[in-house]
Amino acid sequence: MDRKRTVVATAALLAGALALTACSTNRTETGGASSGSSCDTSKGTLVVGFVAPLSGGLSALGLGMKNSADLAVNQANQACKVPGYKLALQAEDDQATAQIAGQAATKLASDPKVVGVIGTLNSSTAQSVAPILAQKKIVEISPANTNPSLTQGDNPASPSRPNPTYFRVATTDAVQGPFAAQYLVGKAAKKNIAVIDDGKTYGAGLAAAFAAEAQKRGATVVAQEKVGEKDTDFSGVISKIRPLNPDAVYYGGEYPVAGPLSKQLAAAGLNVPLMGGDGIQDETYVSLGGREGDLATSVGAPADQLPSAKAFIDAYSAAGYKEPYSTYGALTYDATNVLISGLTTAVGSGTFSDTTRGALLTAVQDTNLDGASGKVSFDQYGDTTNKVLTIYSVQGGKFAPVESGEFQAS
Amino acid sequence: MLSTFLSQIANGLVLGSLIALIALGYTMVYGIITLINFAHGEIFMVGAYGGLATLTYLMPTFIAQRWYFALPVVLVGGALISVLVAVAMERFAYRPLRNAPRLAPLITALGVSVALQEAVRVFYPGATAAIPFPNLFIEGTWIIPIGDGVPIRYTGILLIVVSLVLAFGLERFIERTRMGRAMRATSQDRDVARLMGVDPDRIIVLTFAIGGALAGVAGVLYGSYLNNINIDMGFQNGIFAFTAAVLGGIGNIRGAVIGGLVIGLVKALGGQYLPGGTAYDYVWIFVVLIIVLVFRPQGFFGETERVRA
Amino acid sequence: MTAVTEAPPASTPETAPPRHTGRLAGLLGALAPRARLLGIVGGVVAILGSQLPWATFVLNQGAYPELATLPFGFTGFRLHLVILGLATIVVAAVRVPAANRIVRNLGIGIVAVAVINGLYITVEGGGLGAITAADGAVAFGSVVALIGGVLAILGSAAGGVEPRPELDWNLPLWVEWLLLVVIFVLMLLVVAAALTSGGQGGVVNPYSGAVFLSFLGAAGGAFAGLNASGLLGYVATLSERHRVFSVIVLLIVALGLPLTSAGTEYWMTVASNIGVYAATAIGLNIVVGLAGLLDLGYVAFLGIGAFVAANLSGATASAVGIHLPFVLVMVISAVVAGIFGAIVGSPTLRVRGDYLAIVTLAFGEIFVRSAQNNIGGLTGGANAIPNIPAVAVGDFRFNESITIGSVQLPSGVMYYVLIVLLVAGVMLVFGNLKNSRLGRAWIAIREDEDAASAMGIRTGPIKILAFLLGATLAGLAGAFFAHKTGVVAYDSFRFLESVTLLSAVILGGMGTIPGAVLGASILFVLPEKLREFSDYRLLIFGLALVLIMRFRPQGIVADKHRRAELAEEPEDAAKEAPGPLPTRVEP
Repeated sequence: MDRKRTVVATAALLAGALALTACSTNRTETGGASSGSSCDTSKGTLVVGFVAPLSGGLSALGLGMKNSADLAVNQANQACKVPGYKLALQAEDDQATAQIAGQAATKLASDPKVVGVIGTLNSSTAQSVAPILAQKKIVEISPANTNPSLTQGDNPASPSRPNPTYFRVATTDAVQGPFAAQYLVGKAAKKNIAVIDDGKTYGAGLAAAFAAEAQKRGATVVAQEKVGEKDTDFSGVISKIRPLNPDAVYYGGEYPVAGPLSKQLAAAGLNVPLMGGDGIQDETYVSLGGREGDLATSVGAPADQLPSAKAFIDAYSAAGYKEPYSTYGALTYDATNVLISGLTTAVGSGTFSDTTRGALLTAVQDTNLDGASGKVSFDQYGDTTNKVLTIYSVQGGKFAPVESGEFQAS
Repeated sequence: MLSTFLSQIANGLVLGSLIALIALGYTMVYGIITLINFAHGEIFMVGAYGGLATLTYLMPTFIAQRWYFALPVVLVGGALISVLVAVAMERFAYRPLRNAPRLAPLITALGVSVALQEAVRVFYPGATAAIPFPNLFIEGTWIIPIGDGVPIRYTGILLIVVSLVLAFGLERFIERTRMGRAMRATSQDRDVARLMGVDPDRIIVLTFAIGGALAGVAGVLYGSYLNNINIDMGFQNGIFAFTAAVLGGIGNIRGAVIGGLVIGLVKALGGQYLPGGTAYDYVWIFVVLIIVLVFRPQGFFGETERVRA
Repeated sequence: MTAVTEAPPASTPETAPPRHTGRLAGLLGALAPRARLLGIVGGVVAILGSQLPWATFVLNQGAYPELATLPFGFTGFRLHLVILGLATIVVAAVRVPAANRIVRNLGIGIVAVAVINGLYITVEGGGLGAITAADGAVAFGSVVALIGGVLAILGSAAGGVEPRPELDWNLPLWVEWLLLVVIFVLMLLVVAAALTSGGQGGVVNPYSGAVFLSFLGAAGGAFAGLNASGLLGYVATLSERHRVFSVIVLLIVALGLPLTSAGTEYWMTVASNIGVYAATAIGLNIVVGLAGLLDLGYVAFLGIGAFVAANLSGATASAVGIHLPFVLVMVISAVVAGIFGAIVGSPTLRVRGDYLAIVTLAFGEIFVRSAQNNIGGLTGGANAIPNIPAVAVGDFRFNESITIGSVQLPSGVMYYVLIVLLVAGVMLVFGNLKNSRLGRAWIAIREDEDAASAMGIRTGPIKILAFLLGATLAGLAGAFFAHKTGVVAYDSFRFLESVTLLSAVILGGMGTIPGAVLGASILFVLPEKLREFSDYRLLIFGLALVLIMRFRPQGIVADKHRRAELAEEPEDAAKEAPGPLPTRVEP
């Protein structure tokens, strides 16, 4: 192929002649890519993985989580939390389905730079992600999964941890639901309660746990109904529970449904408070129709008593993200910080490699951190030991803390 | 228990008249070009967002705070956006496929449906989650004094009235005006209509525009009644509306209205009295749909496939 | 099978006289004598462009690949451009048959590479300065390459684009076999290279999407060039002639993917998911592509298969809680899904066309809603059925990696092998059905149900059979899905998934065997490779559906044996056309 060679040669010559002014033939590029911080990043980049729905109907929650994780990573980079390394967040979309989540997890797991994964949002996606990461000894910390079987196994009578690298900073349904019931039946003295949920893992589990505890404490659950997660018209459910004269409604689900539901309850003449979990404790709840006196539980001490929570909210708004941090923002922020501080301990002044993963796992297991949601530490199953919950009530168009307390099972 | 029954009837009628408004668009388009315009539900959704945009971005507070000013303007705004989208959809997605086999436009409609939903989600500020929508009518509830009382909101009454008036007007328009006659002619035989001096393209555009306007109005009223809108509202209500149109005999105006009311009642009463409760109320609508399609595909009023536009 | 005869006269290679209308006509007419020169110059300019710097500065996200701020380089997209440019020069200079057509396609490839890389650098660099001149540095690589591509296209247009030649050489049997093997292996390598091009992406590798798209553009141009030369057509003829041999080689080659650069755990997982959807899509292809019955709730059968398998897998969360061998589970899943298929299909006895589509949609919605409400305790409701054990043969679990000799295969490779065999089996079933009496009956029903009925085809049972068989295949795939994913949740089977499946069938080509597999692959690989666009994924998806219906309703692989359900119908076209009836006679 003499011809080919000559052609290449001429082309190269021509190009060279034209490009003479551009620069020398020194084969390294210079300039650009300034990290903007004064930290030492000589050892390269470590990746914090992230899996949540970033497209489709649940993306509002997923994007809020992503931004919160991003915030934590940026702050860590600015504070040089991991000496010698730059941290980077790699967010993967799981489309809220288990098989795509599995794909994303495999992708992250096959990258040796990935130190841990934050996510997922849905319990069903976590069920496919956690085993994949566990196989590779990669830490996963979920800010949002509430299904007890993820940490305690399928048999609640004899709990055993199925995924040794899986942790969560979210409380399970088994904590939040009963705590709400203790307050509503005890302090608020509501005896006829209608329970409604949206049929999703979070909402259905929460509602079931609430109903069980409420009945144990002597209240009557007058109705247990379901609404669609995308519904906006609840007149059918409301007409159904109205003649049963409930003195409170407990809703297991999230604010996009809870707000309108509360408003429509009142419009139908049912002027009783609506109570929900941390899924409804969002500022948008009131603008969507939440009323004065509605109640919500939330994990951790109230934000104004907890400087770390306020710091998170301020930093988030200062960072100017497009989407609000939404329901799981603070928990995601905490989850990411748990991972980063574990990394600080595990790496120390050394380098990160596959052998560091064991140390990282131990460091995360031994976490003791003051997060935006309160104290974060884990029990032997990987569940958060933070059982401080706060009851909020809508006052003056905002959720205001009513009381805080440690959950005690009874 | 009587009051519960009547409450559910009232709920069913409100939802039903809303569905009827959307179903009119389905039934007209099907009558003219025998196309199931699957994306019609999204036109309804776009109308709601269009109305909200009119209210939020275009209107001075003075007007926005007085419902008797705001309501008509928002209705027109929502309807206008819906008409624009519907006509654009006809022009760019459906018209090139006018002579294609029937699967092609149906699949196109699915594509348009997904694209419209996503376009709103991506480009409308805050549309990733439900958005609050103010009540544009008199706030409050009328409690009919029967038994424990049967509550019905004033906005709900408005919805019923507007739907019936618009449906009645549409029927008159189609029966009495020159345009209406041209529409009927086009639906009977497009080629003959063309020979008689009717421009079928114009008539088809007109049909999409009217259907779009009705859907836009429905979208605004829906938001006003339920006080929140989300991008999924079009798909669900669109399917209900389609069911209503089939139920009433597709191509039939009166049938669409009655079909809509029946669907509303099935959902409300099914959730109340049938096994499974509200968790299965949608399932009953689909069961009704299947039964009707299998045993009486021409619907209540459909004597033949197309009665009128 | 007999050798294909010489190409019909209508498509013999000849230089068609250029016919141009409009303002472009004058220009092209004037250029016509210099068409060849234009092609050569275009190629040279493209190569020249490849050797110029492409970016004026190192982008903030990180350096653009192939040392874009520096001149010279024979890697990545620069190498692709050099190859495309050389090919253009050679083809234009030597005047092979259909030279102008080849040059045009190569030119399009050059344009694609130039535009994709130029656009990425422009967007990331924050303005046109990034690819032209800024801060004393000049780039212009993409601009020059673009000009080269446009010149080549102009030259070919001026010279007149010839029809595609049909080649047919009769070579000794062993040469033809060898040729097929070589070509299939090359195809495998190209696929593996495309999958791994740009790496896995992510934060440390922000331009993987650009590299992938650029590779696609270059490969597409090269492929189109080959196609224009008639070589691809020849290969198709060849593989048709040695059909059984080709199928076996193709299967072996597909099983060889784990040995290539794409043999990572990640791609094995993606490929397994593609396989699940491909198998389901083939089932759907029976219902839609062959029998012409549109099903909008098809993913429910995949779901039924998956839930049945989950319940028989021994997963603790399942209500049934018995553990059967995987093969038996597959059979039961398929049978149950098939029964539901027959039930869903039974309205076809009375309902046709669009109405049937809506009935199937209603069934799909009922399934999702029931599964969400944990009907009969069988679906786990919102909690799903988690912790489904991996398929195991003896002590070996399929999700572990295996080592054969010194070669370590990635974990998940056994699932890949299993799904390849499954898809191959499903394709075999489909291929045989299509050419059977039953398949012809389906096609007859699709084309004209009344006529089919009048010809003595018992349309009712045969339509239900289409649903039954299609659902059976989906149920098989569902059993695999449950074990591979390890969790079965109702939200994997929503309406949008049905639309995705349908799109896979349509995109690939309705009624064709490779179509569904190709469509499913595209719909899965593109979102994986282009994750930076995930926010726009569904928007693009919806628009793509509209555009495909508008411009290529028959899909990528058009079924040539018959007019597809979505192709233009000649009668209607004739009715609308104002001129005289077309007189073309179908052979």
